[in-house]
Amino acid sequence: MFNDFDGTLLPDERRQLNKIFLLDFCNSDSIVSPVDKHETQKSSVLKLLHISFRLIESWEYPSQTLIISNSLLVGNANQISEKLSDLKVGINLLIMGSQDGLLSLDDNDSQQLPRYGNYYQNPGGDGNVRRNYELLACFKKDMHKVETYLTVAKCRKSLEANCTL
Amino acid sequence: MMWRDVGVTLILSLILPVVAQGARHTPPGKPKLTSCRSPDKETFTCWWEAGSDGGRPTTYSLFYHKENSETVYECPDYHTAGANSCFFSKNETSIWVNYNITVVATNALGNNFSDPVDVDVVYIVQPHTPENVTVGVLEDEDGPFLRVSWEPPSKADTRSGWITLIYELRVKLEEAEEWEEHRAGQQKMFNIFSLHSGGVYMVQVRCKPDHGFWSEWSTASYVIVPDYIPRERSMWILIAVFSAFIFLILTWIITLNRSSVKHCLLPPVPGPKIKGFDQQLLKKGKPEEVFNSLVVQSFPPRSTDYEDLLVEYLEVYVNEKQELMPEGKDLQDVGCLKSKSQSDNDSGRGSCDSHTLLMEKCGGVESKDESSYEEPELLQGQAGSWERLERGDSQVVDTPDSSDGRVKTWPLVFSPSIHGSSDNHHYGTLEMPKQHSTSEITYSVPDHLFPTSTSFPHHHHPEYRDSLGEYSEYRCSRSPSTGVAYHWEARHPTQAHSNFNIRNLERQKEATGLGLPPSRSMEYVEVQKVNQENQLVLKPLSSHGRGPFQVQFGRAGVDYSKVNGVNNDNVLLLQRQREMAEAGQYCNYREKEGAEAERYPTQQQGKTTKDGPVATQLQESTCLTTSGYVDTAPTMPTF
Repeated sequence: MFNDFDGTLLPDERRQLNKIFLLDFCNSDSIVSPVDKHETQKSSVLKLLHISFRLIESWEYPSQTLIISNSLLVGNANQISEKLSDLKVGINLLIMGSQDGLLSLDDNDSQQLPRYGNYYQNPGGDGNVRRNYELLACFKKDMHKVETYLTVAKCRKSLEANCTL
Repeated sequence: MMWRDVGVTLILSLILPVVAQGARHTPPGKPKLTSCRSPDKETFTCWWEAGSDGGRPTTYSLFYHKENSETVYECPDYHTAGANSCFFSKNETSIWVNYNITVVATNALGNNFSDPVDVDVVYIVQPHTPENVTVGVLEDEDGPFLRVSWEPPSKADTRSGWITLIYELRVKLEEAEEWEEHRAGQQKMFNIFSLHSGGVYMVQVRCKPDHGFWSEWSTASYVIVPDYIPRERSMWILIAVFSAFIFLILTWIITLNRSSVKHCLLPPVPGPKIKGFDQQLLKKGKPEEVFNSLVVQSFPPRSTDYEDLLVEYLEVYVNEKQELMPEGKDLQDVGCLKSKSQSDNDSGRGSCDSHTLLMEKCGGVESKDESSYEEPELLQGQAGSWERLERGDSQVVDTPDSSDGRVKTWPLVFSPSIHGSSDNHHYGTLEMPKQHSTSEITYSVPDHLFPTSTSFPHHHHPEYRDSLGEYSEYRCSRSPSTGVAYHWEARHPTQAHSNFNIRNLERQKEATGLGLPPSRSMEYVEVQKVNQENQLVLKPLSSHGRGPFQVQFGRAGVDYSKVNGVNNDNVLLLQRQREMAEAGQYCNYREKEGAEAERYPTQQQGKTTKDGPVATQLQESTCLTTSGYVDTAPTMPTF
């Protein structure tokens, strides 16, 4: 099942962004996630799936406000949102498959949707472009997280010892 | 003066060192972070470059703080990565976290801060070059190919999926200048085809993480491709050899049949076929001679020759020695003329086309068959051979018998004995015939020889059979090249026309040459038989009938024309059988001239019943009498 979702990852879009606006904070910071390899490998597959699920979920609707105007994506906000929805569903299925009905999440991983609040509201005016870039930067980072987590989980799940990707 | 200069120099010499000394001792210049790189997405290193040295030993220190945190940390490791570098180990490295890094240069006099730099390790990953790049030559049915394989850099953890690397390789011949690059994706092996046999190739590989920088190219690997013949080329060689072989064979065959090929491709130009035309003379370049040979001296008969002509065509009558009409010559003339019809279409052509020509040889050749021959009723059945000369018909009619069923007569061409002037296409002047007491119809009886004779004009018929009696000779028209002119003179009816079946004719006055308005068209009338009365029963030949003419006779095809006789006007009166009347119809030649329209036979004799249809117009406006007409001479006017 992991293989099904590899294609839905969106890293390719992010590569086109030349400008990397590193935000001090993104809205997804509230979601605790492993930040290094060690932590990631320590985490269980299920945990990784959960985190990925939450990350995707946090961007499912705000991604519609993203303005991606490079040549690769035209009229794309909805596409991203749709793909995120599909991804979320897929991850959910994986969770279901792994859980056997049990939810083995600790409190930190409780499913809490991040507050959208005013974060994603456009301030309007000149701040629009900058705001858009900032959003895109956060989006890019989160997507990369999800990609990494899913990849690690996939490799761990696969029967092949030699998980060469 | 000199003291002043010395003083200035001393002062300057004292000041300068002080100033210089002062310059040496300044706070350090501003350092600058040049780059930070992570080879494995687990650790990273930052490098900086020093600013100007303040003249004193300067120390550099790097400080950083992570996002959302104000805690400032100092670089944990300044040495691992070399001078002016800071190495962040795994413990200090956090991914997806912004690092705000600053380098401080410090010396005794002060310090200097560099500009801060934000770093997210995810985005600064640059792996090492792939390792163990091996290149091998493998064989395939299409030829040899290169197989390049490598391994990811040892430090990059792709096994657990922590880093996803994509690879790229490039190949070129050793002596080439441009590299040929290939993306290999995430695979660690790649095949290269279409090699130059015997060439030396260089191969290099590099890799890149999904978000990061390309690694350096690996060291070049050399490989030698063994010699081989490309399959594709060998196929072309085979095809070329085969084609050359085929080509040689074809050339040989063509050479053998050189002449026939040449004949096929370049058909020989037909030479002129003008009778009397001598190519050799032409080649000699004497046109006069050439053309002279074409000219027949005796043609056209000049007026001065009329006498001669006349003489030639004189017929000896047994009975009445009516003088040969002086115009007989005209007749003959005409008769001759007919062949030489001035406006004959066939001038110069041997007059196969001439309506006067009745020769078999010409028969059927001409397509334009204008004149219709009409068989003269005069044919006598018993006479010797009446051969039928019909254009287009090469048969030789058997000897007509008096009571034969069918006697085909050849078309008789009546020279319009009428007109005296050759120019005048009057045929129908009956005057001429009138003048003759006897209409003399001379015709050339095509004897057996006729069909075979080629030069008609020169034919002189032997004397007619004795069976005919009277006729001693028939002369053919003298018109040489223009064909045969048949003249036939109607015998005087009073004479013993025993030879003629046309009794009526004999009885009648002289039958003048029926100068039936000869139009070009002449029709054959076939003598079906000769009845007891020695009448020729004629029947138009449908085959020769010209259009309208035929129509008339369409009904039964058995149309007889009976010559009623020669009327006063020396007109041969033909009588259609159906009428069975004495009616003879003849055309008034006079009407003929120039009329291209049809002519309707004028009923001269009251008794003639004019058949409507009979009066069809022949195309040539021949005067249509009954079935067929006797065309005395086709010296038609130029119709």
